Amino acid sequence: MTDILNLVFRTFASPAELRASPPAPVPRSSALLLGENSLSRSVLLLAAVTAASQPGLRVVFFTRTLIRSLPASLQKLVPSPESLKKIQFCYPRTMEELLQQVAALHESPSTAPPSLIIVDGLEGFLLGSGGGSHRELHPGGQSCAAHLSALLCDTAAFLSRVLEQRSSSAGPCRVIASFQSEVEAGPASREPSASDPILDILDRYFQVRCTLDPDGGYEAAAAGLQQVWHVYLSGRGITEASCSKDCGDGPAVAREWKLLLFPNGLMEFKVV
Amino acid sequence: MSSLLPAVAEQLFRDIQRTYRDTSHIPDDLLIALKFVFGPCALQALDLVDQRSVTCLSSPSGRKAFQVIGASGRLYTCFVSCHYCPCPAFAYTVLRRNEGLLCKHILAAYLCQAMGVTQQESVSDQQMSMLLSGTAAP
Repeated sequence: MTDILNLVFRTFASPAELRASPPAPVPRSSALLLGENSLSRSVLLLAAVTAASQPGLRVVFFTRTLIRSLPASLQKLVPSPESLKKIQFCYPRTMEELLQQVAALHESPSTAPPSLIIVDGLEGFLLGSGGGSHRELHPGGQSCAAHLSALLCDTAAFLSRVLEQRSSSAGPCRVIASFQSEVEAGPASREPSASDPILDILDRYFQVRCTLDPDGGYEAAAAGLQQVWHVYLSGRGITEASCSKDCGDGPAVAREWKLLLFPNGLMEFKVV
Repeated sequence: MSSLLPAVAEQLFRDIQRTYRDTSHIPDDLLIALKFVFGPCALQALDLVDQRSVTCLSSPSGRKAFQVIGASGRLYTCFVSCHYCPCPAFAYTVLRRNEGLLCKHILAAYLCQAMGVTQQESVSDQQMSMLLSGTAAP
């Protein structure tokens, strides 16, 4: 999935950025998008539309939030209706429904299998909607997170084999999921991996972590921008790819990008 | 699933596979190595292998999963391409305490595969979906 994320960053980068940085081969591994959930959702939608714009690629998008509009960047760069038709939006309400719908993806052999499975807002499925401001972890939360992650990985592995058997260029099947850590959201901690038991589990199954981190500096205000976010790619999927690249001749994977979010909702990525 | 294991464990399963194929027997040195690498769950996993507790389920779509009958008779569904088991030991020892690579059910699935003693069973696509999602009655 990291290859599609990289494609998103490059698609929504300024033309000067693209001239400056040659495309880097990136690992096609599962990725966990970590950060504020409405921004993550916009990046996931960009990823879905970017992938669906590729010939032969189908996308399944699981979310609890009704998608009423596309991010402003997509409204400017209007995707074709054919591309949008290749995205199947599914709205499971609970973790059980999500597990059932992901588990059933192997059942329809007549239609082309998806090349990208997106899950928006894992925390919404993993955390119950308890009253008040404090949300309770789903009973057996760690095991539940492991079950869903393992099911996503196993499903992607199976669908990749199906795509390969069909001699399709649409393979392999990738997974990208977003998660907003409760620990990260706290003002005291800026290090999400510090003590989030769910994130520890998700990291076992997702090879790449893509962290969206708000810029605390004054560059944004000085430039008249609404918001600046740092986008970091990390995890064993990236380090393994970098190790293999060190031995070869290809350019390294860009590990850090900057996301500029303009007041009109437009998003632009810049290589750092 | 084997690429998820450390090289020493992968080599161990290869040795078991080769030796068992030639002699229908696992020699003591490999059993000791198994205990050394996987700890106390090695013996419990071998018990499950003796009882032929591991079944590879297949559905018409081509999807596969392992089903392991636990010591209590409960059925555990494990994935073929990554490590997950719904048993309490996996949740506590592997996920929570990070003290083991896998539980006895997953280890039994590896051993049965290496020894070629996995039972085979066909299920419908819908049954497979229910088993994978954990919504099928055990």
